[in-house]
Amino acid sequence: MHEYSLAFSIVQSVDKWAREMGVYVKRVVVSVPSVAMLDLDILQEAYDMLKRESRLENSKLEVRVKSPTFKCRRCGYTFTDRETPLEEVRRKYGEEYPLHLIPELAPTFIRCPKCGSNDIEADLSIKVEEVETA
Amino acid sequence: MRPILDLAREKLKGKRVFAVLSGKGGVGKSIVAAFWAMALPKSALIDLDLFNMSTVKLFGVEKLHEVDKEGIKPFEVDGVKFFSLGGIVGDRWVVLPGANEGGVAEALLAFADLAGVENVVVDMPPGTGEVLLTLARATPFTPIVVTTPSRAAVSVVRRLMDYLQEQSIAPEVLVVNMAYLMCKGEKIRPFGWPKELEDLKSRVKRVLELPLDPSLEDYIGNLAKYRGEVFQAVKKFVEYV
Repeated sequence: MHEYSLAFSIVQSVDKWAREMGVYVKRVVVSVPSVAMLDLDILQEAYDMLKRESRLENSKLEVRVKSPTFKCRRCGYTFTDRETPLEEVRRKYGEEYPLHLIPELAPTFIRCPKCGSNDIEADLSIKVEEVETA
Repeated sequence: MRPILDLAREKLKGKRVFAVLSGKGGVGKSIVAAFWAMALPKSALIDLDLFNMSTVKLFGVEKLHEVDKEGIKPFEVDGVKFFSLGGIVGDRWVVLPGANEGGVAEALLAFADLAGVENVVVDMPPGTGEVLLTLARATPFTPIVVTTPSRAAVSVVRRLMDYLQEQSIAPEVLVVNMAYLMCKGEKIRPFGWPKELEDLKSRVKRVLELPLDPSLEDYIGNLAKYRGEVFQAVKKFVEYV
Protein backbone atom coordinates (compact mmCIF):
# COMPACT_ATOMS: atom_id res chain seq x y z
CA MET A 1 0.00 0.00 0.00
CA HIS A 2 3.03 2.24 0.38
CA GLU A 3 2.98 2.49 -3.43
CA TYR A 4 0.04 4.92 -3.10
CA SER A 5 2.03 7.37 -0.99
CA LEU A 6 4.91 7.08 -3.41
CA ALA A 7 2.67 7.65 -6.45
CA PHE A 8 1.13 10.62 -4.67
CA SER A 9 4.57 12.15 -4.07
CA ILE A 10 5.50 11.70 -7.75
CA VAL A 11 2.23 13.13 -9.09
CA GLN A 12 2.36 16.05 -6.66
CA SER A 13 5.98 16.96 -7.49
CA VAL A 14 5.61 16.71 -11.25
CA ASP A 15 2.23 18.49 -11.24
CA LYS A 16 3.68 21.36 -9.22
CA TRP A 17 6.57 21.64 -11.67
CA ALA A 18 4.23 21.46 -14.71
CA ARG A 19 2.02 24.22 -13.32
CA GLU A 20 5.03 26.43 -12.69
CA MET A 21 6.26 25.81 -16.24
CA GLY A 22 2.76 26.13 -17.76
CA VAL A 23 2.98 22.73 -19.48
CA TYR A 24 1.11 19.42 -19.60
CA VAL A 25 2.88 16.12 -19.09
CA LYS A 26 2.92 13.16 -21.51
CA ARG A 27 5.36 10.77 -19.85
CA VAL A 28 7.12 10.47 -16.50
CA VAL A 29 10.11 8.21 -15.96
CA VAL A 30 10.85 7.24 -12.39
CA SER A 31 13.68 5.09 -11.08
CA VAL A 32 13.26 3.02 -7.95
CA PRO A 33 15.87 0.85 -6.24
CA SER A 34 15.27 -2.90 -6.51
CA VAL A 35 15.80 -3.29 -2.76
CA ALA A 36 12.46 -1.50 -2.16
CA MET A 37 10.67 -4.49 -3.74
CA LEU A 38 7.80 -2.26 -4.85
CA ASP A 39 4.74 -3.75 -6.52
CA LEU A 40 4.90 -2.02 -9.89
CA ASP A 41 1.29 -2.90 -10.80
CA ILE A 42 0.02 -1.18 -7.64
CA LEU A 43 2.34 1.79 -8.26
CA GLN A 44 0.94 2.09 -11.80
CA GLU A 45 -2.66 1.73 -10.59
CA ALA A 46 -2.10 4.38 -7.92
CA TYR A 47 -0.47 6.72 -10.42
CA ASP A 48 -3.38 6.34 -12.86
CA MET A 49 -5.86 7.09 -10.10
CA LEU A 50 -4.01 10.03 -8.58
CA LYS A 51 -3.07 11.77 -11.86
CA ARG A 52 -6.73 12.69 -12.52
CA GLU A 53 -7.44 16.40 -12.55
CA SER A 54 -3.74 17.24 -12.68
CA ARG A 55 -1.32 18.28 -15.40
CA LEU A 56 -0.43 14.59 -15.64
CA GLU A 57 -3.95 13.40 -16.51
CA ASN A 58 -2.95 12.11 -19.98
CA SER A 59 0.50 10.92 -19.01
CA LYS A 60 2.06 7.49 -18.77
CA LEU A 61 4.33 6.37 -15.98
CA GLU A 62 7.46 4.40 -16.80
CA VAL A 63 9.23 2.81 -13.88
CA ARG A 64 12.86 1.74 -14.09
CA VAL A 65 13.92 -0.65 -11.37
CA LYS A 66 17.60 -0.15 -10.68
CA SER A 67 19.80 -2.70 -8.96
CA PRO A 68 22.13 -0.61 -6.86
CA THR A 69 25.83 -1.21 -6.73
CA PHE A 70 26.86 -1.35 -3.08
CA LYS A 71 30.30 -0.21 -2.08
CA CYS A 72 31.88 -0.96 1.25
CA ARG A 73 33.46 2.20 2.57
CA ARG A 74 35.73 0.19 4.86
CA CYS A 75 37.38 -2.30 2.47
CA GLY A 76 36.28 -0.96 -0.92
CA TYR A 77 34.55 -4.18 -2.08
CA THR A 78 31.66 -3.61 -4.50
CA PHE A 79 28.69 -5.97 -4.76
CA THR A 80 25.09 -6.24 -5.94
CA ASP A 81 21.90 -7.14 -4.09
CA ARG A 82 22.40 -10.79 -5.09
CA GLU A 83 25.12 -10.92 -2.46
CA THR A 84 22.87 -9.49 0.28
CA PRO A 85 20.48 -11.19 2.70
CA LEU A 86 17.52 -9.02 1.64
CA GLU A 87 15.26 -11.96 0.77
CA GLU A 88 15.79 -13.20 4.29
CA VAL A 89 14.98 -9.74 5.72
CA ARG A 90 11.84 -9.66 3.59
CA ARG A 91 10.76 -13.08 4.86
CA LYS A 92 11.38 -12.00 8.45
CA TYR A 93 9.35 -8.77 8.25
CA GLY A 94 6.78 -9.92 5.67
CA GLU A 95 4.43 -7.10 4.64
CA GLU A 96 6.29 -4.71 6.93
CA TYR A 97 9.65 -5.09 5.15
CA PRO A 98 11.45 -1.86 6.20
CA LEU A 99 13.25 -1.18 2.91
CA HIS A 100 9.93 -1.16 1.10
CA LEU A 101 9.11 2.03 3.02
CA ILE A 102 12.60 3.47 3.34
CA PRO A 103 15.25 1.99 1.01
CA GLU A 104 17.91 4.24 2.55
CA LEU A 105 17.80 1.95 5.59
CA ALA A 106 19.72 -0.68 3.59
CA PRO A 107 23.04 -0.35 5.52
CA THR A 108 21.18 -1.36 8.68
CA PHE A 109 20.40 -4.73 7.08
CA ILE A 110 23.25 -5.25 4.62
CA ARG A 111 26.80 -6.11 5.51
CA CYS A 112 29.80 -6.22 3.25
CA PRO A 113 30.16 -9.88 2.15
CA LYS A 114 33.93 -9.53 2.34
CA CYS A 115 34.71 -7.69 5.60
CA GLY A 116 31.33 -7.67 7.41
CA SER A 117 31.05 -3.88 7.75
CA ASN A 118 27.69 -2.10 7.57
CA ASP A 119 29.45 1.00 6.27
CA ILE A 120 27.85 0.57 2.86
CA GLU A 121 27.10 3.24 0.27
CA ALA A 122 24.72 3.00 -2.66
CA ASP A 123 22.27 5.18 -4.53
CA LEU A 124 18.98 4.16 -2.96
CA SER A 125 16.83 7.18 -3.68
CA ILE A 126 13.62 7.27 -5.69
CA LYS A 127 14.06 9.72 -8.54
CA VAL A 128 12.07 11.39 -11.27
CA GLU A 129 14.49 10.75 -14.15
CA GLU A 130 12.62 12.28 -17.07
CA VAL A 131 9.47 14.27 -17.74
CA GLU A 132 8.16 14.53 -21.29
CA THR A 133 5.74 17.36 -21.94
CA ALA A 134 2.86 17.48 -24.45
CA MET B 1 12.72 17.16 -8.51
CA ARG B 2 12.64 15.54 -5.07
CA PRO B 3 9.24 13.91 -4.63
CA ILE B 4 9.79 12.64 -1.08
CA LEU B 5 11.01 16.03 0.16
CA ASP B 6 8.12 17.75 -1.65
CA LEU B 7 5.68 15.38 0.04
CA ALA B 8 7.23 16.11 3.46
CA ARG B 9 6.85 19.85 2.81
CA GLU B 10 3.24 19.42 1.74
CA LYS B 11 2.42 17.23 4.77
CA LEU B 12 3.79 19.79 7.21
CA LYS B 13 2.45 22.89 5.48
CA GLY B 14 0.03 24.81 7.71
CA LYS B 15 0.95 22.80 10.80
CA ARG B 16 2.78 24.16 13.81
CA VAL B 17 6.05 22.26 14.11
CA PHE B 18 8.01 22.25 17.38
CA ALA B 19 11.52 20.78 17.27
CA VAL B 20 12.80 19.64 20.65
CA LEU B 21 16.55 20.10 20.41
CA SER B 22 19.72 20.04 22.39
CA GLY B 23 23.37 20.10 21.51
CA LYS B 24 23.84 17.48 24.23
CA GLY B 25 22.54 13.94 24.52
CA GLY B 26 20.94 12.63 27.69
CA VAL B 27 19.33 15.88 28.83
CA GLY B 28 15.78 14.53 28.51
CA LYS B 29 14.72 15.70 25.04
CA SER B 30 12.55 12.66 24.41
CA ILE B 31 10.64 13.04 27.68
CA VAL B 32 10.16 16.78 27.09
CA ALA B 33 9.04 16.12 23.49
CA ALA B 34 6.60 13.45 24.65
CA PHE B 35 5.07 15.70 27.33
CA TRP B 36 4.94 18.63 24.89
CA ALA B 37 2.92 16.47 22.49
CA MET B 38 0.72 15.19 25.32
CA ALA B 39 0.01 18.76 26.43
CA LEU B 40 -0.98 20.07 23.00
CA PRO B 41 -4.33 19.45 21.33
CA LYS B 42 -4.49 17.64 17.96
CA SER B 43 -0.83 16.75 18.16
CA ALA B 44 1.53 14.07 16.93
CA LEU B 45 5.06 13.26 18.00
CA ILE B 46 7.64 12.29 15.38
CA ASP B 47 10.77 10.67 16.76
CA LEU B 48 13.68 11.60 14.49
CA ASP B 49 16.33 10.41 16.91
CA LEU B 50 17.04 7.65 14.41
CA PHE B 51 19.68 5.75 16.35
CA ASN B 52 17.97 5.74 19.74
CA MET B 53 14.25 5.59 18.91
CA SER B 54 13.43 5.96 22.58
CA THR B 55 9.80 6.99 22.00
CA VAL B 56 8.65 3.42 21.44
CA LYS B 57 10.35 2.41 24.68
CA LEU B 58 8.88 5.35 26.61
CA PHE B 59 5.35 4.50 25.51
CA GLY B 60 5.84 0.73 25.68
CA VAL B 61 5.09 -0.09 22.06
CA GLU B 62 6.58 -3.28 20.65
CA LYS B 63 4.75 -3.68 17.34
CA LEU B 64 5.41 -2.20 13.91
CA HIS B 65 3.58 0.68 12.26
CA GLU B 66 0.69 -0.20 9.98
CA VAL B 67 0.86 1.31 6.51
CA ASP B 68 -2.06 2.05 4.23
CA LYS B 69 -2.79 4.23 1.20
CA GLU B 70 -2.47 7.39 3.31
CA GLY B 71 0.94 6.44 4.65
CA ILE B 72 2.36 5.29 7.98
CA LYS B 73 -0.38 5.10 10.62
CA PRO B 74 0.61 6.58 13.97
CA PHE B 75 0.83 4.52 17.12
CA GLU B 76 -1.82 5.72 19.53
CA VAL B 77 -1.39 5.20 23.25
CA ASP B 78 -4.01 6.81 25.51
CA GLY B 79 -4.68 9.46 22.88
CA VAL B 80 -1.00 10.24 22.17
CA LYS B 81 -0.14 9.79 18.48
CA PHE B 82 3.43 9.13 17.54
CA PHE B 83 5.74 7.86 14.81
CA SER B 84 9.13 6.26 15.23
CA LEU B 85 11.70 4.42 13.18
CA GLY B 86 11.41 1.82 15.94
CA GLY B 87 7.99 1.09 14.48
CA ILE B 88 9.62 0.31 11.14
CA VAL B 89 12.75 -1.66 12.01
CA GLY B 90 11.54 -3.09 15.33
CA ASP B 91 13.74 -3.59 18.35
CA ARG B 92 17.15 -3.63 16.66
CA TRP B 93 20.09 -1.36 16.13
CA VAL B 94 20.22 1.13 13.28
CA VAL B 95 23.45 1.99 11.51
CA LEU B 96 23.45 4.55 8.72
CA PRO B 97 26.15 6.41 6.82
CA GLY B 98 25.58 10.16 7.09
CA ALA B 99 24.31 10.40 3.52
CA ASN B 100 21.43 8.01 4.33
CA GLU B 101 20.29 9.77 7.50
CA GLY B 102 18.61 12.60 5.62
CA GLY B 103 16.74 10.20 3.34
CA VAL B 104 15.41 8.24 6.30
CA ALA B 105 14.33 11.38 8.19
CA GLU B 106 12.73 12.80 5.04
CA ALA B 107 10.80 9.59 4.46
CA LEU B 108 9.47 9.55 8.04
CA LEU B 109 8.25 13.13 7.68
CA ALA B 110 6.81 12.51 4.22
CA PHE B 111 4.98 9.25 4.87
CA ALA B 112 3.62 9.94 8.38
CA ASP B 113 -0.16 10.06 8.16
CA LEU B 114 -0.88 13.40 9.85
CA ALA B 115 -4.60 13.55 9.14
CA GLY B 116 -6.33 15.70 11.77
CA VAL B 117 -3.02 16.79 13.29
CA GLU B 118 -2.38 20.51 13.80
CA ASN B 119 0.66 20.43 16.08
CA VAL B 120 3.71 18.32 15.26
CA VAL B 121 6.37 17.81 17.91
CA VAL B 122 9.68 16.46 16.63
CA ASP B 123 12.04 14.67 18.97
CA MET B 124 15.44 15.50 17.49
CA PRO B 125 18.77 13.73 17.89
CA PRO B 126 21.48 15.58 19.82
CA GLY B 127 23.73 17.92 17.91
CA THR B 128 23.61 19.77 14.63
CA GLY B 129 23.84 16.94 12.14
CA GLU B 130 21.98 15.83 9.04
CA VAL B 131 18.57 15.43 10.71
CA LEU B 132 18.49 19.08 11.77
CA LEU B 133 19.36 20.10 8.21
CA THR B 134 16.65 17.78 6.88
CA LEU B 135 13.99 19.22 9.13
CA ALA B 136 14.96 22.74 8.09
CA ARG B 137 14.68 21.70 4.41
CA ALA B 138 11.20 20.33 5.01
CA THR B 139 9.54 22.94 7.19
CA PRO B 140 9.86 26.06 9.30
CA PHE B 141 9.88 25.10 12.97
CA THR B 142 9.82 26.53 16.47
CA PRO B 143 12.89 25.36 18.38
CA ILE B 144 12.45 24.19 21.96
CA VAL B 145 15.96 23.96 23.38
CA VAL B 146 16.58 21.59 26.28
CA THR B 147 19.48 21.62 28.70
CA THR B 148 20.23 20.50 32.22
CA PRO B 149 21.98 22.81 34.71
CA SER B 150 25.22 20.88 34.22
CA ARG B 151 27.97 23.03 32.78
CA ALA B 152 28.81 20.15 30.45
CA ALA B 153 25.38 20.54 28.86
CA VAL B 154 25.13 24.32 29.04
CA SER B 155 28.30 25.00 27.04
CA VAL B 156 27.19 22.63 24.25
CA VAL B 157 23.67 24.05 24.21
CA ARG B 158 25.05 27.57 23.92
CA ARG B 159 26.73 26.63 20.64
CA LEU B 160 23.43 25.22 19.34
CA MET B 161 21.72 28.48 20.29
CA ASP B 162 24.42 30.45 18.48
CA TYR B 163 23.80 28.37 15.37
CA LEU B 164 20.02 28.75 15.54
CA GLN B 165 20.40 32.48 16.03
CA GLU B 166 22.62 32.72 12.95
CA GLN B 167 19.93 30.83 11.05
CA SER B 168 17.36 33.45 12.18
CA ILE B 169 15.45 30.91 14.25
CA ALA B 170 16.67 32.04 17.65
CA PRO B 171 14.84 29.99 20.27
CA GLU B 172 12.30 31.76 22.43
CA VAL B 173 11.97 28.89 24.87
CA LEU B 174 14.64 27.22 26.98
CA VAL B 175 13.77 24.14 29.00
CA VAL B 176 16.03 23.45 31.97
CA ASN B 177 15.41 19.83 32.77
CA MET B 178 16.29 18.32 36.17
CA ALA B 179 16.55 21.91 37.42
CA TYR B 180 15.48 21.19 41.00
CA LEU B 181 13.77 18.85 43.36
CA MET B 182 11.44 19.66 46.20
CA CYS B 183 12.62 18.46 49.60
CA LYS B 184 10.51 19.24 52.69
CA GLY B 185 8.97 22.20 50.89
CA GLU B 186 12.34 23.57 49.89
CA LYS B 187 13.67 23.86 46.33
CA ILE B 188 17.03 22.06 46.07
CA ARG B 189 19.24 22.37 43.01
CA PRO B 190 21.25 19.12 42.96
CA PHE B 191 23.26 20.12 39.88
CA GLY B 192 23.77 23.74 40.94
CA TRP B 193 22.98 26.71 38.79
CA PRO B 194 26.06 27.94 36.92
CA LYS B 195 26.48 31.50 35.73
CA GLU B 196 26.62 30.21 32.13
CA LEU B 197 23.01 29.06 32.55
CA GLU B 198 21.96 32.57 33.53
CA ASP B 199 23.59 33.77 30.30
CA LEU B 200 21.53 31.25 28.32
CA LYS B 201 18.35 32.29 30.13
CA SER B 202 18.96 35.91 29.21
CA ARG B 203 18.85 34.98 25.51
CA VAL B 204 15.29 33.60 25.48
CA LYS B 205 11.85 35.00 26.22
CA ARG B 206 10.66 32.15 28.42
CA VAL B 207 12.32 29.54 30.60
CA LEU B 208 10.68 26.34 31.76
CA GLU B 209 12.35 24.78 34.77
CA LEU B 210 11.44 21.14 35.21
CA PRO B 211 11.79 19.29 38.51
CA LEU B 212 13.53 15.99 39.06
CA ASP B 213 10.86 13.41 39.79
CA PRO B 214 12.28 9.97 40.65
CA SER B 215 8.80 8.44 40.21
CA LEU B 216 9.02 9.21 36.48
CA GLU B 217 11.25 6.16 36.11
CA ASP B 218 8.28 3.98 37.07
CA TYR B 219 6.45 5.20 33.97
CA ILE B 220 9.08 4.29 31.39
CA GLY B 221 7.09 2.00 29.14
CA ASN B 222 3.85 3.59 30.24
CA LEU B 223 4.58 7.30 29.82
CA ALA B 224 1.13 8.25 28.57
CA LYS B 225 -0.21 7.47 32.06
CA TYR B 226 2.22 9.79 33.87
CA ARG B 227 0.52 12.86 35.27
CA GLY B 228 3.19 13.79 37.82
CA GLU B 229 4.88 17.11 38.45
CA VAL B 230 7.13 17.10 35.36
CA PHE B 231 4.16 16.66 33.02
CA GLN B 232 2.10 19.19 34.97
CA ALA B 233 4.88 21.77 34.63
CA VAL B 234 5.10 21.20 30.86
CA LYS B 235 1.32 21.31 30.47
CA LYS B 236 0.94 24.53 32.43
CA PHE B 237 3.74 26.14 30.43
CA VAL B 238 2.40 24.99 27.04
CA GLU B 239 -1.10 26.21 27.92
CA TYR B 240 0.29 29.56 29.05
CA VAL B 241 2.47 30.01 25.96
